[in-house]
Amino acid sequence: MSVVDERPARVVGRALVRHDALEKVAGRTRYAADFGLPGMLHAVLKRADLPHARLLRVDTSAAKAVPGVASVLTAKDVPENTVWVDVPGQTFQVGALKARTNVLADGVVRYHGEPIAIVAAETEDAALASLELIDVEYEELPVVTDPEAALEEGAPLVHEQGNLIASWQLHEGNVDAALTAAHAVVEQSYETQFVDHAYLEPEAGVAWLDTDGVITVRAATQVIEHFRDLARILRVPDNRVRVIAPYVGGGFGGKEDMTVEPFLALVVQRTGCPVKMVWSRSESLLAREKRHPMKLRYRTACDAEGRLLAQDIGIVADGGAYALLSALVLLYATTCSQGPYRCPNVRIDARVAYTNHTPASAMRGFGAMQVALGYEGQMDLLAAELGLDPLELRRRNFLERGDTLAVGQTLDTHVALSDLADRVEAALGPKPEPSKRGRRVGRGVACNLQPYGRCVWLNDWASAWVGFELDGTLVVRIGVPDIGGGQASSLVQLAGEVLGVDPADVVIHIGDSALTPLTGTTTATRQLYMSGNAVLQAAGELREELRPLAAELLEAEPDDVEFAGGGACYGERHVAFRDLIAAAAKRQVPWHRLSIFRAPGGDAWRSEASWRGRVFPDFTYGCHAVDLELDPETGRIDVLRYLAAHDVGRAINPQSVEGQIEGAVVMGLGYALSERVIYEDGINLTGAFAQYLIPTAVEAPEIEPIVVESGEGVGPFSARGIGEPPVGAVAPAVAGALADALGRRLTVLPFTPERVAEA
Amino acid sequence: MMLELLVNGRRLREPVEPHVTLLRFLRDQAGASEVKYGCGEGVCGACTVFLDAVAVNACSVLAVQAEGAHVETVSAFGDVASLHPLQQELIERGAVQCGFCTPGVVLGSIEAVRLGLAGDRMTIRRSLAGNLCRCTGYGKIVEAVEAYRDREGAA
Amino acid sequence: MIPRPFDYERPRSVEEAVSILAGAGGRDAKVIAGGQSLVPMLSLGLARPDVLVDLSRLELNGIEAVDRRVRVGATTCHRTLELDPEARRLLPLAAEAARHVGNPRVRNRGTFGGSLAHADPAAELPVVAVAHGGEVVAHGPGGERRIPLAEFFLGYLETALGPDEVLVAVELERPPERCGVGFHEEAQRADDFALACAAAVVAPDGHARVVLGGVGDRPLRFEGPTDELPAAVEAAVEPEEDAFVSAAFRRRLAGVCARRALARAKEDAGA
Repeated sequence: MSVVDERPARVVGRALVRHDALEKVAGRTRYAADFGLPGMLHAVLKRADLPHARLLRVDTSAAKAVPGVASVLTAKDVPENTVWVDVPGQTFQVGALKARTNVLADGVVRYHGEPIAIVAAETEDAALASLELIDVEYEELPVVTDPEAALEEGAPLVHEQGNLIASWQLHEGNVDAALTAAHAVVEQSYETQFVDHAYLEPEAGVAWLDTDGVITVRAATQVIEHFRDLARILRVPDNRVRVIAPYVGGGFGGKEDMTVEPFLALVVQRTGCPVKMVWSRSESLLAREKRHPMKLRYRTACDAEGRLLAQDIGIVADGGAYALLSALVLLYATTCSQGPYRCPNVRIDARVAYTNHTPASAMRGFGAMQVALGYEGQMDLLAAELGLDPLELRRRNFLERGDTLAVGQTLDTHVALSDLADRVEAALGPKPEPSKRGRRVGRGVACNLQPYGRCVWLNDWASAWVGFELDGTLVVRIGVPDIGGGQASSLVQLAGEVLGVDPADVVIHIGDSALTPLTGTTTATRQLYMSGNAVLQAAGELREELRPLAAELLEAEPDDVEFAGGGACYGERHVAFRDLIAAAAKRQVPWHRLSIFRAPGGDAWRSEASWRGRVFPDFTYGCHAVDLELDPETGRIDVLRYLAAHDVGRAINPQSVEGQIEGAVVMGLGYALSERVIYEDGINLTGAFAQYLIPTAVEAPEIEPIVVESGEGVGPFSARGIGEPPVGAVAPAVAGALADALGRRLTVLPFTPERVAEA
Repeated sequence: MMLELLVNGRRLREPVEPHVTLLRFLRDQAGASEVKYGCGEGVCGACTVFLDAVAVNACSVLAVQAEGAHVETVSAFGDVASLHPLQQELIERGAVQCGFCTPGVVLGSIEAVRLGLAGDRMTIRRSLAGNLCRCTGYGKIVEAVEAYRDREGAA
Repeated sequence: MIPRPFDYERPRSVEEAVSILAGAGGRDAKVIAGGQSLVPMLSLGLARPDVLVDLSRLELNGIEAVDRRVRVGATTCHRTLELDPEARRLLPLAAEAARHVGNPRVRNRGTFGGSLAHADPAAELPVVAVAHGGEVVAHGPGGERRIPLAEFFLGYLETALGPDEVLVAVELERPPERCGVGFHEEAQRADDFALACAAAVVAPDGHARVVLGGVGDRPLRFEGPTDELPAAVEAAVEPEEDAFVSAAFRRRLAGVCARRALARAKEDAGA
């Protein structure tokens, strides 16, 4: 369901230059670290050198004595250092679980890089000098580095309650019977790795004490609602904490959980001074939460025509040392693990376990993308088994509107997979020949589904304020953090569309928990759906509020009044907003509107049974194809061509949509070919950009986005989310192409040159 | 020690310690927050500046090594009210998303075109290998540089 | 995240630089020129010198042919080797290798002398230098000292330069008439350190020299008939195993790089 506007669009659908791009290209945008206040302190973190150890002693006396040091804080200095969170996703066998989050390590460190202490000093140099003098005595504890081992009897415990964080199980139909009766069964294991968000902007923020004792944190974040979590940590009322999100230099889920915020807030509370914290790239790579690695076991059966009969799926994910969003990530993985395919018999056993690795949490794709390697690999294997073209086998199984996923969700919007597959095939042409002797060319295809919008039983909502100034210019106030995906500029386009105002005459204020209406997190590909609908609603309601007055001034019937060209019009007559609002002011007709958009909800999760059914508002579907050439001697891969087709419902800004697709594909290529966090007994070895290999302009291929607009999505103007979906289909497409070139399937990510050459 | 240099044409004379990088100096003492800290290793290019007309990573130069030099940031080439042609191309082609890499990309590209190292797409990509971007996938950036190169009539 | 404090000297001559280094006593004094290796190391906390001696302003750059050698000044930038027409003519092997050093920003500032003095086994230019042969020209308290390139690289980040010596130039032997040169590198991404790299010089009589980088603690030199060298290389190298790349794979790449560098050199000779 979306707020539907039937009239042909004027600005929606146009590739407008984003309003924020102007300042960004000129270097004028003030990101979190580009901000300062007089008397500002600099804060740094003392982090654990070991992955699992008791803290026998943390001696900060010498550190405190360094000239210029204002404060050195440890766990005992934090009013509420440990927060317990309910973790959904327990079967009755396991029972309910509460997960611990610590601000600072309290007696035990559980991952390499876990924060132990905060130093705040007048200069960065003094802070670092002080850091070196913090004396920590560790007692090493046994290290758990494998989630399957962690779940075995007798494994060292990361947390006292046990190493299982969450588990989702389901069995639809009768998988064993179906496997026995099948024409073909393929069985394979797949493995994905830890990766890092690697946004260009490291974690950063500045905090200060504002009027009325409001602790204000201006930080690179995707979630301003964390003011509530900060209030809890500081033991102050919610209304005494404010979070501001400036434009963020990339998030991808890595700035969804709190990063610098709690440390900044604590120092402000203790010292009363403003304080800045910027993480080094090393810190970020070592200790910032990562993507969940997953071990996938698939058994997939089909009939003689290639129609799926059964999927038997096992998922074991590495949640790292703290739960964070692991249970939800696993839910996404579970829901999507059957792929965008119909299957009558599905059994899923999904678990996520604690280990002494960096905590894993949100990252673009959020569990639904890791499983794509599994379900697409299975489709390729079945196709090979049956001698069918890989895309043809998929076509015979594509979900359609009206089908129901194993989890119980019936698809009630258009599923464009066939159309996407058609377009990709039409664009592909014949497979190219190798460029020189010894090289091999491979072609792979992959389809995927990715939810957009949050789980329905979270009863999501978003609010927006839209209003005119007396001179007829338009203002939008909305709490949305803009992390680079054009979150704010889409809203400008929508407001301009509804009210007939040129987007250049619209100013948008975003991301302030005290001053802008809250709109929820910039995560889960939900912002266009949620804040977009909220703005559409607010602007629409405002328009209707002004319509009677406009009709009067234009001497027209209310229904005949159009809002266009910076005012209201009827035939040849036009009244500019400046004059309309002046009249409204005299008559006490409101010229602004606050509105709340409520997503269709669901029952709150209460029991094992009630998580089934409708889980997500909707999905975005994709079909990708890749041609690549490889050098078998060196394992080097050149991507010759990459096609990425997605149904976006409606493209609010087509250029933005392409940009999201292209960026996600390159991120997916890094995931497929070169990115991995490497641990040795729990010690993270990839602490520099020279070691953590994200694609440069040279590795990135030319990408051809194919944007389909089916006109059916639940976002504004029937749009679907596009931020996350493209990232999931990339590794599977590459896996298929490699299998085509090598004659063997690689199943462990990333497909490094060494692994390709050894294949 | 006292450091004297030009930053975007403005003469500065500031006390600075030897261990302060040019990046830190520019951000903390010269008010040039358009030069970004991205990695501190000389890999990501977010801190690209021109040092006597040569593009360098400010994080990999000590401020004292810039004594008497002219440092130019992206601000020397264009501003919101009057953009450099390359900046115009970047925003019109949707090549700016989070924007953090953008100032570095602008300078890296200007140098590439100036040196004649933007002749075709692969050469442009090689010239931009030291400017990492995590948002755009580079495609629209490369198109923008091509378009700028054609405008300049350069090779 | 940021360098820790140190003292800083900017000598106005090589002699002054030498005397500062000689007078450092127990303090750790390091030379800095382009700083493209050193400054990031300072920021990452991998180096904590007490004193930095800055040579970047000394007029030690320039490339000139001297008899059968090419003299490269220590502060000549990689970018000059890569792009300057005269440099490319005199040192085509260095020009090709320089393209692979770091990224354009790093090449704009990083120096030939710095690369050799730093002696990272995965660096490209030390490999080129050893492939040419010749001498490192150093200045110390005792005046000029010439160190044959074959004896210059001693181990991981270790050279024959004394702690009170400054590298002022490198004199590279020009390959004999009608020899061909070739370079090949395998790296994970375009501008990364080499997983393995090879510089080759092939003579018209089929005799060749190939030098390998990235597969030992220093550049490794092999000589012999062109066709036999790749196998000899692969049999002889004993690369380190690390968490990122296995020894076996590096060995394989060493063979591939040797073969491809030699093939290019052969083609260059025939041309």
